[in-house]
Amino acid sequence: MSAQPLLQVQDLSHHFGKFQVLSRISLEIPAGALTALIGPNGAGKTTFYNLVSGRFAPSEGRVVFDGRDITGLPAHRVAPLGLVRSFQITNIFPALSVLDNVAVPLLLQHRQGWNFWRPLAREKAIYRLAEAQLERVGLAAAAHRPARELAYGDKRLVEMAIVLAREPKLVLLDEPTAGMNPEETDRMIRLIKTLADTSGTTFCLTEHDMKVVFAVASQIVVLHQGQLLAWGPPERIRNDTAVKRAYLGGSLDA
Amino acid sequence: METLAINMLNGLSWGMLLFLISMGLTTVFGVLGVLNFAHGALFMLGAYLCMQIMRIVPSFWLGLALGPLLVAALGVVVERFLLRRVYARDVSFQLLLTFAILLVLDDAVRLLWGPAYHVVEAPPLLAGVFPLFGHTYPVYRLFLIVVGPLVGLGLWFFFQFTRWGRIVRAAALDREMAEGIGVRVPLLFTAVFALGAWLAALGGALAAPQQSLAPSMGDRIIIESFIVVVIGGLGSFPGAFVGALFLGLLESFGTVFAGQAQMALPYLLLAVVLLVRPRGFFGREA
Amino acid sequence: MPATFPRRGGPLLWACLGLAALILCPFLLPTYWTMVLTEILIMSLFALSFNLLFGAAGLLSFGQGGFFGLGAFAAALYLQAGGGSVWLALFLGSAAAALAALAVGYLCVRRDEIFFAMLTLGFGMMLYTIAHNWRAVTGGSDGLPLFSLPPLRLPGAAFSLYSPVSLYLFTLAASLLGALLLWQVGRSPFGLILTAVRENKERFAFVGGRVQRVRLLAFVIAGGLAGLAGTLFCFFNSLATPDYLHWTFSAKPALMTILGGSGVFLGPAVGAAVFFLLEQLITQVTESWMIVLGAILIVVVLFFPKGITGLLAARRPRTRSPRP
Repeated sequence: MSAQPLLQVQDLSHHFGKFQVLSRISLEIPAGALTALIGPNGAGKTTFYNLVSGRFAPSEGRVVFDGRDITGLPAHRVAPLGLVRSFQITNIFPALSVLDNVAVPLLLQHRQGWNFWRPLAREKAIYRLAEAQLERVGLAAAAHRPARELAYGDKRLVEMAIVLAREPKLVLLDEPTAGMNPEETDRMIRLIKTLADTSGTTFCLTEHDMKVVFAVASQIVVLHQGQLLAWGPPERIRNDTAVKRAYLGGSLDA
Repeated sequence: METLAINMLNGLSWGMLLFLISMGLTTVFGVLGVLNFAHGALFMLGAYLCMQIMRIVPSFWLGLALGPLLVAALGVVVERFLLRRVYARDVSFQLLLTFAILLVLDDAVRLLWGPAYHVVEAPPLLAGVFPLFGHTYPVYRLFLIVVGPLVGLGLWFFFQFTRWGRIVRAAALDREMAEGIGVRVPLLFTAVFALGAWLAALGGALAAPQQSLAPSMGDRIIIESFIVVVIGGLGSFPGAFVGALFLGLLESFGTVFAGQAQMALPYLLLAVVLLVRPRGFFGREA
Repeated sequence: MPATFPRRGGPLLWACLGLAALILCPFLLPTYWTMVLTEILIMSLFALSFNLLFGAAGLLSFGQGGFFGLGAFAAALYLQAGGGSVWLALFLGSAAAALAALAVGYLCVRRDEIFFAMLTLGFGMMLYTIAHNWRAVTGGSDGLPLFSLPPLRLPGAAFSLYSPVSLYLFTLAASLLGALLLWQVGRSPFGLILTAVRENKERFAFVGGRVQRVRLLAFVIAGGLAGLAGTLFCFFNSLATPDYLHWTFSAKPALMTILGGSGVFLGPAVGAAVFFLLEQLITQVTESWMIVLGAILIVVVLFFPKGITGLLAARRPRTRSPRP
């Protein structure tokens, strides 16, 4: 068992001009620990994701992933290392079929992206892998439909399949249940829990629904106004005075 | 020493003209998000209209005042009836549209005034020469060195301190928000495009007395003003100033040192900037 | 509404019939039309290569004339130096253009789509300026005439390319090869990657893709094929001139593609044919061809962005199912 955490963040800070969005965030995500990142809107959750996943380089601090310093690496260098993310606004390839959406990261992984002379149809191994991914998230039936035609909830599943295609080590999900009705939310959360338990992938998700958070997370990170308020197992967070105060006396139960 | 001074002044006068024209390009780009391929043609039209007006009333000042205004009016028509229809569409179609307008304007100039060169006389007030290190230097060029920054300063003042200027900047940053607080954004866009056209045409009218007018004069301008915008960064007046100055001086000294290869210098500069600092040296990212 | 094309037999049958027709044309038509077709074939290839960038990659390039002209000049220089093989001339033209596209593309893909368009215009004009002013090598504004065109050597026979029929068939073969390559690219993994980048370059980067490199490869392929078309044009006109590199020439494939429709593979070819016919018609009436061209482009961009093939496709009652 590796003693080193999968993701280690040290004194991570970022500012846009004079506006400080994150201040000295230090935390760890051990492999296999389903982590929930919570905090009100504007707390810095998406910025945290942006810095870790390589969307932009942090003003200060370090990000160490799987023992490797990835601070400031651009997204296309981070993803092949096994750190992927989803977006608040679903980010897929709308005109491609659902199956092709998943084929794209697989082609990149197998270094077939440069192949411009052989027909795509010959890449049977890749398409089999893609189909398997669709099975995992429950979208096998929609494989040949253009992704843009799918319902909102299914589009989010497509993004999930894209993100999981390369069997990543860590997945950062940005509000995976946003805009979903209770059934879809339930389905998504159960899917995440199943994947977290059965695959080697560690999940981190941002979430507003406290019921969900306390049901699935094995550790919770609380951000508030760009600062780390608390971080630890759910029970400790539930009873943390600073956290309670930040939520203005409202309880953390939904 | 004289060569240095003369080349310096040449570079400055061309640079300041380029600054004026580039301000129009970068303003339209910054506010409307449209890179106007026809900007060079508007420059050319400003020069030709100035010349045409001078044929009727032999006053450069009238041509300078009226010509750009006519081009601005054309800008209003173009924006209102053509450009406005493609804002919501893919960026490629906006570019194709301005490119098509370029084709039309370019050939229209050729049709109306013929392919031959034309010459415009500088106004008597500025037609003289200035003694410089034992040689003489055209007063008109000195005039250009002054006019460019003046207009630039005026524009900067407008955008920074006046109410309308701030409204334009707000609309550039967030169109929906501006509409939400009651700004008539479509009208604003038309006005800004007209302003851009006016600036290009003003540059053309000002350039007329010091270079011969030909239907290809727009080609060079659009590429050079684009290089200025690349160097200076999007939406930045100081950036456009520095970029234009640099390019003007580079070209001026280039004729002395590089001879025939001088033509490649702007492109070399472009290549260097793209390699070293693709986002430009000033200004915020698009 | 009656179906415009019977669906029985499928696209392969139509392709074979079309090919047969193209091969037979020069033997059935008067020389003038053979030459018209030759020119249309060359411009079709040029437009198809443009569409790899525009339709597939979502990149607008106003500098493709630079590579077209470079191909023409490379071939002309080789032939002037005494070169004897037209195949080698073709290869040199394409290779020179592809190399130039590598250098220019490397700089241009560093910025987004809007700047890309202007940058390609700029570098295309840079190539024009060099061609126009480097009298010693390019002949300046007069260009390089081809005083002799070596015969086309095939195993067992040699054909003079001064014969319109031979030139046509040679052009047909070369442009078909080029088109076939483009067709393959569209159906390849790279083709899917290109579409993905066009659809959502952010998502592409976040799954580990390198947007700039993908675009660069597309640019090189497009440039190389533009060079191939340019070489063929040089044979056709027995002349390489700097005009081929001017932005007004670069406008042609753009216009043809938009006119014909960028969404269908052969759209640009249809556009090339229509464009050529329009050019013939309009130049008989007026010299201000560019105004009319610009006006047509404006109308197409505003009202018929999908072009002719887009209009036809919209009228078809049945749509094809997506590729499995």
